[in-house]
Amino acid sequence: MLRAAALIEQLGIPTASIVASGFLRQAEVVKSGLGFALALAEYPGAPMVDSDEELRRKVEATLAPGIVRALTQGAPARSPAHEEPEPGSVVFSGTLDEVQEYFDRRLWSDGLPVIPPTRDRVERFLRFCGRDPAEVLGVVPQEGREATVLSVAVNGVMAGCRPEYMPLLVAIVEAMCDPRFALEHAGSTPGWEPLVIVNGPLVKALDFNYGQGVMRVGRRANTSVGRFVRLYLRNLCGYRIPPGAGDKGSIGMSFNVALAEDEDTARAIGWPTFAEERGFAPDENVVTVQSVVVITPPTYSAGDRAEDHVRQFAEVMGASFAYWSHTGMKRGFWHPLIVVGPSIARVIAREWSKDDVRRYLWENVKITAGRATHYARMTSTPTFSLERLVAEGVLPAEYAESDDPQRLVRVFIRPEHTGIVVAGDPGRNQSRGYMGNHDQGPPVSRRVALPSGWHALLESARSIR
Amino acid sequence: MGMPSNSQPRYEVLWPLGRRAVEPRAVAPRLPDLAGRTICELWDVIFRGETIYPLVRDYIRARYPGVRFVEYTEFGNFYGPRGAEVARALPEKLRAHRCEAAIVGIGA
Repeated sequence: MLRAAALIEQLGIPTASIVASGFLRQAEVVKSGLGFALALAEYPGAPMVDSDEELRRKVEATLAPGIVRALTQGAPARSPAHEEPEPGSVVFSGTLDEVQEYFDRRLWSDGLPVIPPTRDRVERFLRFCGRDPAEVLGVVPQEGREATVLSVAVNGVMAGCRPEYMPLLVAIVEAMCDPRFALEHAGSTPGWEPLVIVNGPLVKALDFNYGQGVMRVGRRANTSVGRFVRLYLRNLCGYRIPPGAGDKGSIGMSFNVALAEDEDTARAIGWPTFAEERGFAPDENVVTVQSVVVITPPTYSAGDRAEDHVRQFAEVMGASFAYWSHTGMKRGFWHPLIVVGPSIARVIAREWSKDDVRRYLWENVKITAGRATHYARMTSTPTFSLERLVAEGVLPAEYAESDDPQRLVRVFIRPEHTGIVVAGDPGRNQSRGYMGNHDQGPPVSRRVALPSGWHALLESARSIR
Repeated sequence: MGMPSNSQPRYEVLWPLGRRAVEPRAVAPRLPDLAGRTICELWDVIFRGETIYPLVRDYIRARYPGVRFVEYTEFGNFYGPRGAEVARALPEKLRAHRCEAAIVGIGA
């Protein structure tokens, strides 16, 4: 919203931005990243829980006078920004405990101890990527900071990564900097979390877990790469929960460990890997980043026919996805991700392709129009209307086939939006679904660029394990 | 890592953030008075704007004679599926409506 206000101010037109009380501190962070001292008008409290009478009183007593002030007087003068260190400079010297305290006080940690980012350690990371430390991968919201190769190395050290993960970390940040990923919404109230999906020979070379317990903390590659993403969002973007201000996840969720695919099983059963489906060659190393806002229950399925399992996906995962699907309906898309257990994938693949799985879920997971509308109205959008979304061309015509609130509409908007990854325990019959947060964090992939002499570098890293 | 002190090693640590890439920029001049002015509305179609904006209009009209509003429906949802198109079309639409001030909402 404030980005729209900044655009208008650039045209020489004064703006007043309506912001509810609980979002004023985040708005100040966003303003600093946009570079404009935008004038805010406060709505006291939370508009979605006020009675009509309360709302009217608050508008007349506070909001509307605030809008007039914003348009005629502007924002209160702010204190000049304090000087910041130069990238790569030493900011502190102390014992391990003192470093932790120093970083905690400045909100530069994630609540867990960090590995001190000394120059030696950072330079070791940089040797594994062969790129200029000052290279800017993007300017990231919401503080408007440069995401450099150096900043990737520093935060990679802090997260407990190994130096040889560095090319992967750079590719992750490149993917998150892609405008399609919409990183500017990573502090929104649903509290979604990026998920990194790893494909290619690096899965084994870097010792990623892709088997039993794949999404549990415990394997260094999966865990530290997942932690790195959250640290990076805090330190470079400014997405910090209180006492920070940039992250407005109302309840939020923990970081996701990186998900690596069981490519051996995928190939053995004749399915393309997740990365191959996204257009990459089998020998390419690829990271894909996408948002996760809902994680389904562990979904057990039994039987020796494909439909035995995919019907269970539709019932169990579909029920979890149905509630939040109205947010995707508002944009015309969202991205489900199904992590299929290897034993289950083997059964399904005997009869069905991945596209068959997608089609079944698209055809069979539905919600009544009335419930979707109700959930949208409860969340943020009292004016939600499937009919209007169809009229605007956002949704296919079938979503407005009648005005019966009991009619069933699809939860999966297009079959091709569903990602499928084979991973997990080959000795059990469990799968799980992950729901993306509509247009916030759709899947974005990047090929991992390895430096020259990679194999020798990797050997040297292994020798000190 | 530095020399041991009090039997514990010391660490010289690097700054983990990045340089700010955005310079402060001046906002548009404010209006001395809203009387007779044209105010445009932008709305992200959430958080009860359909109720809030009419109340704001009433409040301002009652105090500033001749004020004119161009309602949010004229511009589209800048936060919706056509957000990029809405943003691209915005400068021309604001000019066409002779917009002198804008209300943007709602962040909650």
